[in-house]
Amino acid sequence: MDRRPVSRSIAQVGLALTIAFGILAGWAGYWQVFRSPDLSNAADNPAVIAAARDVVRGKILDRDGKVLATTKRDDNGDPYRVYPERSVSAVVGYASRKFGTAGLERAYAAQLIGVSDPDPIRNLLKKFETNPTDPQALTLSLSLALQKAAVRGLGDDKGAVVMLDPRTGEVLVLASTPTFDASAITNPATEDQGFAAVRDAASQPLLNRATQGRYVPGSVFKIVTAIAALGSGAIDASTTYPNQAKAERDGLVVDGFRIREHPGVPARTLDLAHATEVSSNIFFALTGLKTGGANLADYAAKLGFAGDVGFDLPVAASQVTNGSGKQPGGFVDDVELANASYGQAETFVTPFQMALVAATVANGGELMRPHLVTALTGRSGTRTVSPEPLRRVISQEAAAAINAAMVRAVEGTLGRQFTPGAAVPGITTAGKSGTAELGGSGEPHSWFIGFAPANDPQIAIAVLVERGGRGAQRAVPLAGSLLKTYFDTVAK
Amino acid sequence: MDGFTVTIWVVRILFLVLLYVFLFGIARALLRDLRAASREPTVELGRLVVVASPAGEPAAGTTLPLDAITTLGRDVNNAIVVDDEFVSAEHAVLTFRGRTWYVEDLGSTNGTFVNGSPVDSVAPLGYGDEIQLGQVRLRLDRVRR
Amino acid sequence: MSNAAPATLTLPRILGPIRPRPRWREARLLAVVAVTILVGSVSLALAQRAPDAPPGGLEPAEPFHLAVYVGVLLLAHVAQVLAGRRTDQVLLPAVGLLGGISLLLMERLPQNLVIQTIGKTDLGLADVQLVWLVLSIGLATTLAIVVRSDRWLRMYKYTWAATGVALLLLTFVLGTEINGQRLTLSFGPVSGQPSELLKVILVVFLAGYLSENRSLLVEQSTRVGPISLPPVPYLAPMVAMWAIALGIVVVQRDLGAALLFFAVFLLLLYTATGRAGYVVLGLILFILGAFVMYQVVDHVRTRVDIWLDPFADPSGAGYQVVQSLYAFARGGLIGTGLGAGLPLVSGRLPIPAIQTDFPLAALGEELGLVGIMAILGIYLVVIERGLRIGAAARDDFRALLASGLALVVGVQAFIIAAGNLKLIPLTGITLPFISYGGSSLLVNGIVVGLLLALSDKGVEPPPPPRQPGRLARLARRGGG
Repeated sequence: MDRRPVSRSIAQVGLALTIAFGILAGWAGYWQVFRSPDLSNAADNPAVIAAARDVVRGKILDRDGKVLATTKRDDNGDPYRVYPERSVSAVVGYASRKFGTAGLERAYAAQLIGVSDPDPIRNLLKKFETNPTDPQALTLSLSLALQKAAVRGLGDDKGAVVMLDPRTGEVLVLASTPTFDASAITNPATEDQGFAAVRDAASQPLLNRATQGRYVPGSVFKIVTAIAALGSGAIDASTTYPNQAKAERDGLVVDGFRIREHPGVPARTLDLAHATEVSSNIFFALTGLKTGGANLADYAAKLGFAGDVGFDLPVAASQVTNGSGKQPGGFVDDVELANASYGQAETFVTPFQMALVAATVANGGELMRPHLVTALTGRSGTRTVSPEPLRRVISQEAAAAINAAMVRAVEGTLGRQFTPGAAVPGITTAGKSGTAELGGSGEPHSWFIGFAPANDPQIAIAVLVERGGRGAQRAVPLAGSLLKTYFDTVAK
Repeated sequence: MDGFTVTIWVVRILFLVLLYVFLFGIARALLRDLRAASREPTVELGRLVVVASPAGEPAAGTTLPLDAITTLGRDVNNAIVVDDEFVSAEHAVLTFRGRTWYVEDLGSTNGTFVNGSPVDSVAPLGYGDEIQLGQVRLRLDRVRR
Repeated sequence: MSNAAPATLTLPRILGPIRPRPRWREARLLAVVAVTILVGSVSLALAQRAPDAPPGGLEPAEPFHLAVYVGVLLLAHVAQVLAGRRTDQVLLPAVGLLGGISLLLMERLPQNLVIQTIGKTDLGLADVQLVWLVLSIGLATTLAIVVRSDRWLRMYKYTWAATGVALLLLTFVLGTEINGQRLTLSFGPVSGQPSELLKVILVVFLAGYLSENRSLLVEQSTRVGPISLPPVPYLAPMVAMWAIALGIVVVQRDLGAALLFFAVFLLLLYTATGRAGYVVLGLILFILGAFVMYQVVDHVRTRVDIWLDPFADPSGAGYQVVQSLYAFARGGLIGTGLGAGLPLVSGRLPIPAIQTDFPLAALGEELGLVGIMAILGIYLVVIERGLRIGAAARDDFRALLASGLALVVGVQAFIIAAGNLKLIPLTGITLPFISYGGSSLLVNGIVVGLLLALSDKGVEPPPPPRQPGRLARLARRGGG
């Protein structure tokens, strides 16, 4: 009997097992060394939870160094958090001994407590120290002054304001109303009532409407359609539709469904800039049909509609459709596509996402990663977070065309009628207002997105007022006043 | 770093080091074995064919592989178990040294025979030769590659 | 009868003659093992010392456990020295080291995870594990000394197969259900997991079956298009094996055992026949079966889903895997040190079933990547020794038996380690010699014992026969 083949097979099996174990060792290395920093920072990691009990967390500061979160000690000497500014409650959140964490207190729990160092070597050496935690203080790009102005402007209405620098992605305002009293939740003397009040309030103050609220966008969505149309080459800045004038008058029939224009739109042929100026539903419906559902969904994804933009706080996904249809992009039929193209049908967006749309156009078609935290400072020094481009969505020329269109919407003769109060005196402002019809009785949502100055944008803005009426009623003037405040105070 | 922390980490690192001392201790010998094995050709140079076996264990006509050292006898511990009443528990051993096969009688009661002649203690064995233990006869054959 | 052997004591025949033979390599390795476990124990004691306790010297935690365990290893060594068989000298130290690590781990965990009451004393986790370790090493040593012939394994393979199937059916029917799995047979106070024993029975049967039919399987084949399959009558047992594996998954919900059986089966089939085609066929059957199981069987789908993305449900179904990964991440390169990891969550350990299903995660946290690689290395050593014993074996049956036993330990270790690390879906099998569990330790002890018995190199080569001098040869020829 020839035994040799058996021993050869055995050797091969042995080799295979050795390779398998080698792969296993490499895989262990992946989790233990490569992924170790981000896993060790997860808020539900027991090490973080254990450390959270005893450690004094780092402070949270705005861009000018004003304190947004700090620590006090109670009668037993145990630390608890204090939040001097109510207007930033949605952003900063709370870190309560009893009720867990929210907002940045949650997202940056590990860094605020200081369980792990971003530098792997220092992290390794940390084991040998008797005091291994190094609480980091967070410096944010947020501007407390602007944030307060935004919250004041929203008043008693439910809504959100997002302002960011399109060149760097730094977020200066992330306001959501109603705000809540985070200090009441974290103060041991008042924590039970404080939390119950917030949790049970009908107006849902714990909901961060800027990043988690999903709303029908109305006409502000037309910018997304324009991005998809120009980006995919379906239209250019001079495209017009031969049947437009007639359709403006009688309505556009798509698969038996008649799309009517809103009042105030002249019945004539329009190009992109003019259509944006008067906010023509027909033009954008035709453009959407020409672009196709697949392209619309594709460019929406590029703009970050999935919520995966790498922001410091979790961002809910926006959608162009609920995807139940079989047509390209997930649309049910052309009627849905046409309606979605001017921001109705099954489109839902977060105010944060729309701010990113404005910022993309403002930054010449390149989307920067939005971020709040600009620096982390601890015992071991300061680590700054640099601006980082996320991706290029459309070309510079396409962005310039949309830019021009949005300038017309604010500063053009007709545009000024639709968006009074948005323009900042002396500074060319670009933007788009939106009135999101919700069907039934009740006011529509009031929207505005924009940026300024149009020729060299420094700030992009998105404003949403729930049930605020027509765009021009609430969102537009609020945006205008906030932009003015920005240029008067923050911009140097 | 205080004294206690130093001590505890020295001990911890020592533990990890010792684990690897164990592994290296084996690895060194492992490499030595592998090198030795590759030098020795694991080539079969002979086999036994059962010519006659009245008791039937091993069956007549079977071919038995041979190691460099192969023990024969009635006891189950032997490499080749020869279950014949005239065979001792540990009867003989076949060894291959250098270039020749040798058969050695291990002090059996009835003796070992090569081609009919009794084996003194050690005798050389050539291909084609027959050895006899009790009533069982076995022939040494070359292995054709 | 035999007078060639040196003076011996008369002992029961089964023990064999006492022919003491030194085993220096084993002794050296065991010394390293003993020192390693001692240092580990000291490390544990230092970590467990309360911060305000007076600074003591360096003494080990649980010196009694340490003494008993090292003593048992020493006894096993001495027993083998006395028996004088030329068995493998690396297996016992390697297994001893794994057992020592297990003991340290069990000492480190809260003792009230397991409480066994005997008479008036309560035994905690480490105590019980020590008992099982001692029994396991004792069983292995006994088998190493006593098992001299493989006939009882070789001859009765169909009986073994029948016993295996009977055990399996018994567990299907009579087993006690824990967490939806029927894995344990209980008779009064004693309970065990037959699936552990089944894997050994499977190897014994396969070794016998494959060695007998080896030539047929290698030379003949049925061709189905471009693929060559084993001849049809021999294809049947293969498919039956696959069906049994699926049955185990569905009925007993024991994915780990099914995977282990099937993998060992395929590997042994390849070892016996050398035909990669059979392995490819087996893999195709596996993928088909896995796909169908995923669609049809709920718990398979859950397991695969949490394997693909455990963070989708980090506090629900994916909790164990997520916490396991956190533990590995907390360990980093050199770990937190024995006894210093595993932060408690509301007074409980962060990973449930840590002593049975996730010991590697605990070791990963406390010993780091360096420690994990060492432990994987020790398993590789055990596999390598087993495969080497197979490669050097006298005949096919012993070769397949030894390889199969080595594979059973090695593949099982791989499956559970990979599950802990999310390389493959998590299964509920034990990590050999490290997990807590009597059945597992005893059966693995049997495996090691059999491997040692198979590794006996036999009688030492006699000194080369002295060539008679030229004169003597001439004289002999003359005399004739």
